[in-house]
Amino acid sequence: MATELTLSVNGAKQTVTVDPDTPLLFVLRNELKLTGPKMGCGMAQCGACAVLLDGKEIRTCITPVSGVAGKQITTIEGLPALWAQEKSLSASDSETTLHPVQQAWIDEQVPQCGYCQSGMMITAVQLLSKNPNPSVDQIKDAFTNTPPSPHLCRCGTYAAIIDAVQRAAQAMRGEAR
Amino acid sequence: MIGKTDERETSVLGATISRRGFVKTGGALFVSLALPLRFATRAEAAENPTSIDPTSPASWLEIRSDNTIVARTGRTETGVGITGYYPQTIAEELNVRPETITLIMGDTDRTPDGGYSAGFLSGMTNVRKVAAYTYQALLGLASTQLGVPVSSLSVTDGIVTGGGKKITYGELVQGQHLELKIPVEGTLPKPDPAGEVGMTSLDGVTVTGNPPMKAPKDFKVIGTSFPAGHIPDKVTGKTRWSCDVVLPGMLHARMVRPATLGSTLVSAGTIDKKQFPTAEVLRKANLLAVVSPNEWEAVQAAQSVADTTKWTDWSGLPGSENVTKAIRAHKWVRPSESKGKAAETEAALQSATKKISATYEQGYVRHAPIGPFVAVADVKSDGIVTVWTHSAQSQGLRARIAYVLGIPVEKVVVRWMDHSGQYGRTTFGGDGAEADAAVLSQLAGKPVRVQWTLPEDLAWSSVSPAWVSDMTAALDAKGQIVALHSAQYAPHMEDPRPLGALLAGMPCAASKPGGWVATEWPYDKIVNRLEDAYGMPNLAGDSANGGLRGNIMRTPGQRQQNFALEGFINEAAAAAGADPIEYRLAHTTDQRVINLLRAAAEAANWETRPSPHGRALRSGTAPITGRGVCIMVRSNAYWVGIAEASVVPSTGVLKVTKFTVGCEPGKIINPRQLDRCMKSGVVMGLSEALKEEVTFDKSKVTSTNWNSYKILTMGEMPEIKVVQISRDDKGFGGGSEAANALVPPALAAALFDATGVRARRLPLTPTYVSSLLKA
Repeated sequence: MATELTLSVNGAKQTVTVDPDTPLLFVLRNELKLTGPKMGCGMAQCGACAVLLDGKEIRTCITPVSGVAGKQITTIEGLPALWAQEKSLSASDSETTLHPVQQAWIDEQVPQCGYCQSGMMITAVQLLSKNPNPSVDQIKDAFTNTPPSPHLCRCGTYAAIIDAVQRAAQAMRGEAR
Repeated sequence: MIGKTDERETSVLGATISRRGFVKTGGALFVSLALPLRFATRAEAAENPTSIDPTSPASWLEIRSDNTIVARTGRTETGVGITGYYPQTIAEELNVRPETITLIMGDTDRTPDGGYSAGFLSGMTNVRKVAAYTYQALLGLASTQLGVPVSSLSVTDGIVTGGGKKITYGELVQGQHLELKIPVEGTLPKPDPAGEVGMTSLDGVTVTGNPPMKAPKDFKVIGTSFPAGHIPDKVTGKTRWSCDVVLPGMLHARMVRPATLGSTLVSAGTIDKKQFPTAEVLRKANLLAVVSPNEWEAVQAAQSVADTTKWTDWSGLPGSENVTKAIRAHKWVRPSESKGKAAETEAALQSATKKISATYEQGYVRHAPIGPFVAVADVKSDGIVTVWTHSAQSQGLRARIAYVLGIPVEKVVVRWMDHSGQYGRTTFGGDGAEADAAVLSQLAGKPVRVQWTLPEDLAWSSVSPAWVSDMTAALDAKGQIVALHSAQYAPHMEDPRPLGALLAGMPCAASKPGGWVATEWPYDKIVNRLEDAYGMPNLAGDSANGGLRGNIMRTPGQRQQNFALEGFINEAAAAAGADPIEYRLAHTTDQRVINLLRAAAEAANWETRPSPHGRALRSGTAPITGRGVCIMVRSNAYWVGIAEASVVPSTGVLKVTKFTVGCEPGKIINPRQLDRCMKSGVVMGLSEALKEEVTFDKSKVTSTNWNSYKILTMGEMPEIKVVQISRDDKGFGGGSEAANALVPPALAAALFDATGVRARRLPLTPTYVSSLLKA
């Protein structure tokens, strides 16, 4: 039965009327038009659908929307605002500033097809919130062993992701390259 | 637009420029085909805001009065960087900054050329010539405007200077509607059941003639790491992907697939309308689906329909553990293709004092994108069909959908959008969800979006077939190869039939089963060689649903044949007691091979000695290390792979510690993009070498999720070292996809170096490696 639920997504309150069992992924994509998270395996085996829930990665393809009411949901569309909030950027700066993780993904030319990269960036943001200077092994661990399942990239961009995480870490520490 | 068409035409090197009229605002030079091609009707084109002249074919290039440039191509970004190197190539010939170029890709009603998205070399040559013709035309216009001879003009960043005067490209076209027609050959594909893949040709349109082009020594943009334009919007979430298409009244569909690969429908399950009030079952022959305006309802209702649907029993597969036996059992007659000298090779093998032989093999593997197939189709009551797709062959898909629905090609519009990489499976415009969507939209009378699930994709999409290769070589007294014969046997990999059409019993233009010799021969000192490729139909190809439909996959043909050839060269080197790199150098005079091998060997700190290593061991719990090498030549690009690995004999676990990959593709267009493609290719190759195999029982595929079809994770990735050699004197080569093919032979050689055990089958799983070590 469709029920009215209020979600907190990318810093804004959103009201949706949906079956409470609907996977969060479908609500984000079809109701809220946040299409950054992607439909991958549908069984929490790949990470394409990952978002942050109160700062921690979840797999939206298996998470019923009823379970996330009242919690902060962040998709890649909300990463610039997250960064602006953390750095207390002015309104004008926040509109033109990407999250350092996104900027590093562009600067390191990470995406090939790009389908998995929304989930990859979510994991990177979570990692860098806890570890400002991760080693290559720590990055590999964060994308392989820490999440609900390893984040998979079929194009094979893992080396580029490692480069980009380290570049983003440097930027977030305020160090010049 | 005001004014009349100016009939005056000027010919420049076979291209014709004319003024079609004057315009109040703006102005542009449109570069289009000199062949009449039928495109969308005027009414359809009128809805298309980017097409300024609706009666013309979509232009290839537009030089606009605001100094921006629009480039259009039917080829698409498949994840290897076309959105970077196409603007680079065009910018180079036009002398403009690549940032001024906007690329429009893939839509059949607004791009002129068609062709394979994987066709890097042909596509690249096309856009380069288009830009070169345009440059000559712009010089001519500038010469007239400035009153300065062409020979005195030079162009930087789109500003023409000469005789103390200057004018921008934008000013040259200001207020005018100019048209440049350039000479082309070829046509866009039409259905042709007698054609190679059921089409007239999928090559698209090729630019002819030889306009003057820049010498590599003068390149300013080619050779720099210009960023691929598709990336920023993908990173911020702004890209509209093919899975994001929403149309008014659109229904979401989930397919209910047959119980086995060969089952036919007995009775379709029904929907409990109380539970799923807006869901409906749609059926055509064995094509069964549930549609709903709500995606979650479609998912749930499809599950309940699947639970109550009855299918016939079927078993006709050999089981994946018997796949080699099944291929061997086929009644082979003659090769589909042979290369080399048959009589001389046979004679040399007959008279040889020393012969070696070996058999290499691999099971089925698959493309396995992270995003399963998705498509939207809108079949209108007036007969116009629009398909939103991520296929790598928009024009081929267009013709195929027309054939399936029995309508003229002109009635079908294909709109291309980004999606998960396809790695070759959509190359012939066949595999995908588009036919499902078209059939369902026709049944529903509404737009339908079909989203496959991962288990469905891993069970029903096309596969890269298993194969067996028999290798024989004659060695002289010094161990040098004097003759080599290879024979590869495999189900074919060019099945373009869309699953939805097969299941719905609708017409499918098919291909002829066959194999081909993919290797490009790097060993010119081996004069007597014969390479045979045999092809057979799909396994279980005579079943109702087509069996295991084969399609090409990243670095097709060479990926497989090079594992056999380079593995065998390593065996011959070992038989001769020679270092594997020195042995290769002794069999070629090709300086490109020699230079790259030496550079990669140095980068990898290669120690010159024969394999196996003196410390090689087959038992114990301590890791033993080894290294191995292979080379490849493909599409004017030269490749080297050097694997360093360790293996624990007691467990059979093989771990790659470092992989050095070298490439010399003639002139490197974009070093960073090539670096990305080389490293990612190695990751895909490691995945295939270590982990991948499609498993199936007698009736269905059983590896249907990421736990049963395993691919490499980041944690399993070794250090990857890249060696690039760019040279100005060999043109351009294909560098974007081939690195994956280097991993399996190099890794098998590293295992041999560590243990003295030769692995001749992929993947190199702990179970397989253990069985070799215990044998």
